[in-house]
Amino acid sequence: MSTAVIAIDGLVKDYGDVRALDGVDLEVREGEIFGFIGPNGAGKSTTIRILLDLLRPTSGTVRVLGEDPRAGGPRLRARLGYLPGELDLDGTATARQLLEHLAQVRGGRGSDRIAPLAERFLLDLDRPVRTLSKGNKQKVGVVQALMHRPQLALLDEPTSGLDPLLQQEFLTLIREERDAGTSVFLSSHVLSEIEGVADRVALVRDGRIAVVDDVAALRAAAGQRLDVTFASDVPLAALDRVLAGVEELRIDGLRARGVWRGEPGPLIASLHGLPVARLELRDRDLEELVIDAYRADAPEGAGQP
Amino acid sequence: MSDLRDVLVEIRWQLVRRRRALLGWAVALAAVAGIYVPFYPAMGGGELQSIVDTLPPELISALGYDRIGTPAGYLTSTVFGLLAPALLLVFGIGLGARTIAGEEEEGGLELAASAPVRRDVLLAGRIIAMHTQVFLLAVTTTVVTALLVRVVGMDVTLSGIVAAGLGLNLLVNAFATIALAVGAVTGRRAIAVAVGASIAVSSYIAHALSGVVERGDLLERLSPFSWYLAGDPVAQGVPIVGYVLLGTLTFVAWAAALTRFPRRDLGV
Ligand SMILES: Nc1ncnc2c1ncn2[C@@H]1O[C@H](COP(=O)(O)OP(=O)(O)OP(=O)(O)O)[C@@H](O)[C@H]1O
Ligand SMILES: [Mg+2]
Repeated sequence: MSTAVIAIDGLVKDYGDVRALDGVDLEVREGEIFGFIGPNGAGKSTTIRILLDLLRPTSGTVRVLGEDPRAGGPRLRARLGYLPGELDLDGTATARQLLEHLAQVRGGRGSDRIAPLAERFLLDLDRPVRTLSKGNKQKVGVVQALMHRPQLALLDEPTSGLDPLLQQEFLTLIREERDAGTSVFLSSHVLSEIEGVADRVALVRDGRIAVVDDVAALRAAAGQRLDVTFASDVPLAALDRVLAGVEELRIDGLRARGVWRGEPGPLIASLHGLPVARLELRDRDLEELVIDAYRADAPEGAGQP
Repeated sequence: MSDLRDVLVEIRWQLVRRRRALLGWAVALAAVAGIYVPFYPAMGGGELQSIVDTLPPELISALGYDRIGTPAGYLTSTVFGLLAPALLLVFGIGLGARTIAGEEEEGGLELAASAPVRRDVLLAGRIIAMHTQVFLLAVTTTVVTALLVRVVGMDVTLSGIVAAGLGLNLLVNAFATIALAVGAVTGRRAIAVAVGASIAVSSYIAHALSGVVERGDLLERLSPFSWYLAGDPVAQGVPIVGYVLLGTLTFVAWAAALTRFPRRDLGV
């Protein structure tokens, strides 16, 4: 139904002897916010930089808005916005001068949004960019990536350096931009940072895509970490029955820990009547998801309704 | 057509970002002329010559002091042949190495190279902006020297000073472009500085030794410093062959940068 804004097929990228991407396949659809999640060195920046023709693939095919990045050249890049993962802004020019210049390069597009976006992110445009804090530099990066309303925004760790309040403001902005017609591809190493905004995510590690799914399904498949402490000894038989569905179960005196998948209702019901002193069910974090994904090639149930 | 516009936008931006640094360098170069030119009459041409005459002749030649007693020789030995090129080469090679490789290593090139501009256009804009800066500093040196020569009443022609200033500009732009090109090809600032500086220094030494060693004419033919100074531009005017060679060197560096830079991975 909707077309692909990014289509990557069998993408391999070597840096000398280092294989950074080892056969990445990925499709991002028009109008979605797509999260690209992976630990340090997974290959997120390498992938994004290939989409912008800053790097050339070793093998595989890449289509961005239907075009090969190299063949598309400036004409294609005019339709993209990019926030680099390691943004370095130097020189004595002010943020306003830099942003006006970047708008100039795009034939003036986006110039009118510099002031409102800066105001929204409490960015002082008249300070030399060199003297801005990391977070403020990041704001300059966000503004320049989105100001010209690109068809596709490629954002490499956009939330890094922003405090929680500004992260929220940023995510709100991303949603607005999406609603205004920008497809968004953003990377992060923390799923929780972007899961509220991403429609779908891919988990990447060691240059391969481990899982692609929508966030809710992934969450459900990931399960929750259970940590329960009893007030007094529970008969072993009862415990066995109650905790039968818990994976990776570890019992340590009065405390039991493990992974619970699925609805928490039945678990809580089965604990009823037992002397529970403390109960915690917490969403698992990304590292655990990725490790799982690698253990089974996909977490159980992921990809299925 | 829009490529031309892109080049101009890039040139303008590079000059805007660098204007403060440029002003500082202009002051330094004006100071070099300001310190050395008025010093001439105080020494009295002949007096200086007699001091120099006590040195061993090989040393005099190596230092380029053989004509220091004449006004033109004095300007060549101090401003045009020594301090201005030294300062300007530090400026030019540093700028050349930073323009692509330095920014690439620090990540500053990401935004420029991901913008809707062709890479060769981006590169051309940056090289021209560098040429412009070197040119403005050479002009500063030339103008301040010419003014002070007038004030002090030294017997040097304006056309000689302009010829030397032009050569200074060509010499420094050649080395600056070499540094930029090495950076554009390798992406390594340290290599760009090392290559630019070592060619510049060995070229200076070759020029200095050319009057001392046997077969010095061979050194003179190979050294860009000699292309600039061997014809004694302050006294004799533009040495056409030498200046054409300097321009050719710059052109070759341009070609190398334009050939490789658009084709390679950035930031690796
Ligand atoms: N210039 C380079 N030379 C050699 N290896 C590189 C280079 N750049 C990246 N790599 C390697 O390629 C792999 C992928 O790196 P990449 O920067 O794409 O990861 P990333 O997912 O963006 O990581 P991070 O979260 O730390 O930004 C890593 O193993 C990294 O060490
Ligand atoms: Mg990265």
